Amino acid sequence: MEIKFEHNTFRRRLKSMLKVDFRRMFTSRLFYIITGTCLVIPILILVMTTMMDGSVSVNPQTGEETVMEAFDSTWQIIGTISSEDSAAGMDMLSMCNINLLYFAVAALVCIFTAEDFRSGYVKNLFTVRAKKTDYVISKTLVCFIGGAFMMLAFLAGTIIGGVIAGLSFEMTGFGVSQLVMCILSKMLLTAVFVPIYLLMSVIAKQKLWLSILLSMMTGMLLFMMIPMLSPLDAAFMNVILCLCGGALFSIGLGAVSNHILKKTSLV
Amino acid sequence: MNAIEIRNLSKSFRGLYAVNHLNMTVPIGAIYGFIGENGSGKSTTEKIICGLIHPDGGSVKLFGREHTDPDVCAKAGVLIEAPGCFPNLSVWNNLMLQAANLSIRNTEKEVVKVLKMVRMEGAASNKYKNCSLGMKQRIGIAMALLGNPTLLILDEPINGLDADGMRIMREVLVDITRNYNCTVVISSHILGELEKIATHYGIVRSGKMMKEMTATELKASCRTYVAVRAKDRNRTKAVLACKFSRTEEDEAGYIRVYDRITPEEIVTHLYENGILVSEIITDRIGLEEYYIDLIKEGR
Repeated sequence: MEIKFEHNTFRRRLKSMLKVDFRRMFTSRLFYIITGTCLVIPILILVMTTMMDGSVSVNPQTGEETVMEAFDSTWQIIGTISSEDSAAGMDMLSMCNINLLYFAVAALVCIFTAEDFRSGYVKNLFTVRAKKTDYVISKTLVCFIGGAFMMLAFLAGTIIGGVIAGLSFEMTGFGVSQLVMCILSKMLLTAVFVPIYLLMSVIAKQKLWLSILLSMMTGMLLFMMIPMLSPLDAAFMNVILCLCGGALFSIGLGAVSNHILKKTSLV
Repeated sequence: MNAIEIRNLSKSFRGLYAVNHLNMTVPIGAIYGFIGENGSGKSTTEKIICGLIHPDGGSVKLFGREHTDPDVCAKAGVLIEAPGCFPNLSVWNNLMLQAANLSIRNTEKEVVKVLKMVRMEGAASNKYKNCSLGMKQRIGIAMALLGNPTLLILDEPINGLDADGMRIMREVLVDITRNYNCTVVISSHILGELEKIATHYGIVRSGKMMKEMTATELKASCRTYVAVRAKDRNRTKAVLACKFSRTEEDEAGYIRVYDRITPEEIVTHLYENGILVSEIITDRIGLEEYYIDLIKEGR
């Protein structure tokens, strides 16, 4: 007796996988908590630094005085101009800004992936899904979009925070189009980080702590280059650079993740 | 063509063979009882069939194709160990998620259908984490049944089920094999239940297939016995043991005689020794006893 099997095209397989992942992400509390946190963080940073502006803190050991300085412009929390020293990514201003989100993206990717393994859902997924590529592509795309949502939440938080703190929205040294390019570059940069985090999650499988630890460590290596690649006065070239970087990392590391999923035990 | 054809399959963990050059053949439409002790390699074999574990060597063919063929995999249903559900999602949402994973068209209709099959329609809105062990097993079976699978792999599916749950499970499995031409591989330690539905058996030990047979072959190779009950159990036992070579007492208090003998001969022998028989039955040993005998022989 011959049994006929319906041919599952790549498009159909990917569509169903994306449906599962989007459904999971948009129905999970985790996503809303992280996105909500991304909205609140800039408000807190802007309001608190403005409140503490001019306050002096004294180091009890050396007696050295440090004067707290607030942001001059609301947009400083989004990025720094390439000509400024802080564009090197080593000072407080370039650290305490939107770039922090890349760590929040790590949390999203790691928890999202580890949950599949911890709950045993991978058994349901991979029994009916022999091609692990579907999983890798879908997770990368969904987490990238999740990261983009987080960026937008941060941007909204920045505007709200700026209004509450009474900070200036003046654009000095850059224009609206450059600000848009900057945000676009930052969004595309998540495509560089997501495959790294996904690879770490696939290696760690159900060990969430390990995937977060590995992701933070590897993410830190690339963290310093974010301000340089996506300054406030970003040009179209920055967008292209980030897009290419994202595509390269997604394809390269995606292939590695796929290989690991194929060659290792999933349960 | 067979539903599953495994040849020379091996898998070792840290140098120890979990599956050792195993061969297995499951015909299409069979309910294949996969039996073995704990750690004998049943679950590992099932996980390899499902593509969850990468084997060290050997071949696994499903319906004549490689087990990694995406078209064949898409028509498999599985329940291995525990159902893979998200604890914070409702039963309904967990099933809807799996329906999306399977690209099922009429998702809601399909989910309602499988919930009805396992008599869980009333618990659809319950959170998975709040379900009892038995309910979770039923959800796992419902999940495996989604999308009308042609191959169903169930690892210990009746664990935690009550008598009614086991009956439902039996009915569902028999129904899908008869009406939907589905092939079922089911591993269980509850051999009495398995015996009621299985059409084929595979007995595995230390990662190797010890014996494969049909239910008819099992019946033919199961030895018959005459079981006797009398007032003085100890004396009856002693008298029978003097004359017959293979006697033993079972849990119900019957003295079983496995020699090729008629009930009349036993009654006469006991009567001649002053023992009156109160009950006598002729029967065949079940799967459980056959399996224990086989394992003992192998040791």
